[in-house]
Amino acid sequence: MPGKVPNALSGVELPDPHMDIEDYDPDADLMVLNMGPQHPSTHGVFRVKLIMDGEVIVKAVSYPGYLHRGVEKLMEKLTYAQITPIVDKNDYVSPMINEQAVNMAFEAALEVEVPRRARWIRTILAEMQRVASHLVALGTFTLDVGGAIGGGASIFMYTFRDRELILDLFEELTGCRFHYNTHTVGGQRHDIPAGWAGRAIEALKLIDQRLDEFFELVIANPIFQDRSDGVGILPRHLALGLGLGGPIGRASGVDLDLRRDAPYHCYDEIEVKVPTRTTGDCTARFMVRYEETRESLRIALAMLEGVPEGPICSRKAVNSAASVKIKDGEVYVGVESPRGELGTYLIAGGQGGQGPYRLKIRPPSLHAISVIPYLLPGNNISDAIAILGSLDPIMGEVDR
Amino acid sequence: MTPELKAAIAALLAPSTDEGKEPLTAEDVVAFGMWVPASLHVALAELLKAHGFTLYVTVVASHWPGEKPSRRNPDPPPEHFQVATVLRNPTRGASTTFSWRVRLEPGQPLDTLFALFAGADWQEREQYDLVGVHFAGHPDLRRLMMPDDWEGHPLRRDYAIDTPHFPWR
Repeated sequence: MPGKVPNALSGVELPDPHMDIEDYDPDADLMVLNMGPQHPSTHGVFRVKLIMDGEVIVKAVSYPGYLHRGVEKLMEKLTYAQITPIVDKNDYVSPMINEQAVNMAFEAALEVEVPRRARWIRTILAEMQRVASHLVALGTFTLDVGGAIGGGASIFMYTFRDRELILDLFEELTGCRFHYNTHTVGGQRHDIPAGWAGRAIEALKLIDQRLDEFFELVIANPIFQDRSDGVGILPRHLALGLGLGGPIGRASGVDLDLRRDAPYHCYDEIEVKVPTRTTGDCTARFMVRYEETRESLRIALAMLEGVPEGPICSRKAVNSAASVKIKDGEVYVGVESPRGELGTYLIAGGQGGQGPYRLKIRPPSLHAISVIPYLLPGNNISDAIAILGSLDPIMGEVDR
Repeated sequence: MTPELKAAIAALLAPSTDEGKEPLTAEDVVAFGMWVPASLHVALAELLKAHGFTLYVTVVASHWPGEKPSRRNPDPPPEHFQVATVLRNPTRGASTTFSWRVRLEPGQPLDTLFALFAGADWQEREQYDLVGVHFAGHPDLRRLMMPDDWEGHPLRRDYAIDTPHFPWR
């Protein structure tokens, strides 16, 4: 229809990701351009081979795997107590939620109850981590779409400054800025220190204020609008088929958030508002992340007020590598990470019950970057940067 | 899972029940870990997609090498592979998953789900790369994580963790 702006629900014409380049116009003067592996906009080590006709991308072939460390193979040799610090390194922008995901799988296989206080603390930590992670995503996206926004890399610096407030709080709680190792089977390892909740409320309120300034600087900026409005429209049916339920899916009209639709921790005790969009472009993905940051701040602030009393772990503290034993069983547990559904498929029963037989991590970032062969063709090379940035992939998690 | 879906799954799977066993009924259908014959893998996915399980979650292949008979386990199963598929129903307020398992003999391919779920493309490539399960009808079954000239499939149980590889180490 002429004049009608395409969105995620109206049919968008999609390229064939497996197109044989021989079938393309034989008179065209094609060029192969390697983007990556060390391109700043890939947010890690990731290569896309772009076949270009002039300025327009004809075909995009992705090559992940530069950060493949064999984490899933390593799991076969590790015991359950040793796995938590390893999964921290997968999605290194939101390690808290990685820890929670595997420990929830172990708890489901063992059928262990987690005390309410521990679940409450987990909810707070997950929401604070989501704020920290989204701040990185928002900052790096503005850096990708134009250094001109706010002058150079200002927004990027602002968001990283604000994220540092959260990391300081996590450091006070666990002793580490990243790679916390604070979750264990049955609960938490570290209790909230005296006065921590008050300081956390102060910091989160400050971030909430600063987000307003940040938002005004970015979203009304014509350069930002030109580079992200209507760019990289992901249709809803493709988002579902590719398994995208996180901010990327919600920007394309997939109204799914596991915190609300399949509640875990204490999410059934608090209302979670889920922002969605139907435009499915880079702006929509940015806006969904921005609104989720606000919502996470609201949830964390509300929950910090009334942390319930009680024990923080239902089991004896882990005192040796072999202190968790799961004889057999198979479970799948999915949690809502800042990038989508972070799943853990556990087949127990390896190493005489001390470790997993097979542990598969379902990384949301791998599903996110699998849209590249669909979204890049037909766009300019400059749009490819914006699209990649709006997907917010973490390569440590993609390659594992 | 609605009763209609349970009945539909039971009707799909009942003809394949082994002889001498009670045929499958709707009560036997569970949302996690049902064993499904490889020939009905795609048909079941199609049925689930039609009943609202439209979000592709993951596919997990695992390797079970044959073991020597021991006193504790006098009749161990021979070498085989297991492929588990997880789908999600993205209903607002009550999202559920459905997962089923397929048992494969060594070298036996499994039909791809790419025609139903675009996400199966990369996920099946990853499982092929790491575990070595073949997916029949896959449009582009190349390695995903390991280099193209890598030998062996690292996530097989009989692949030693310190296997040397020239020129990497």
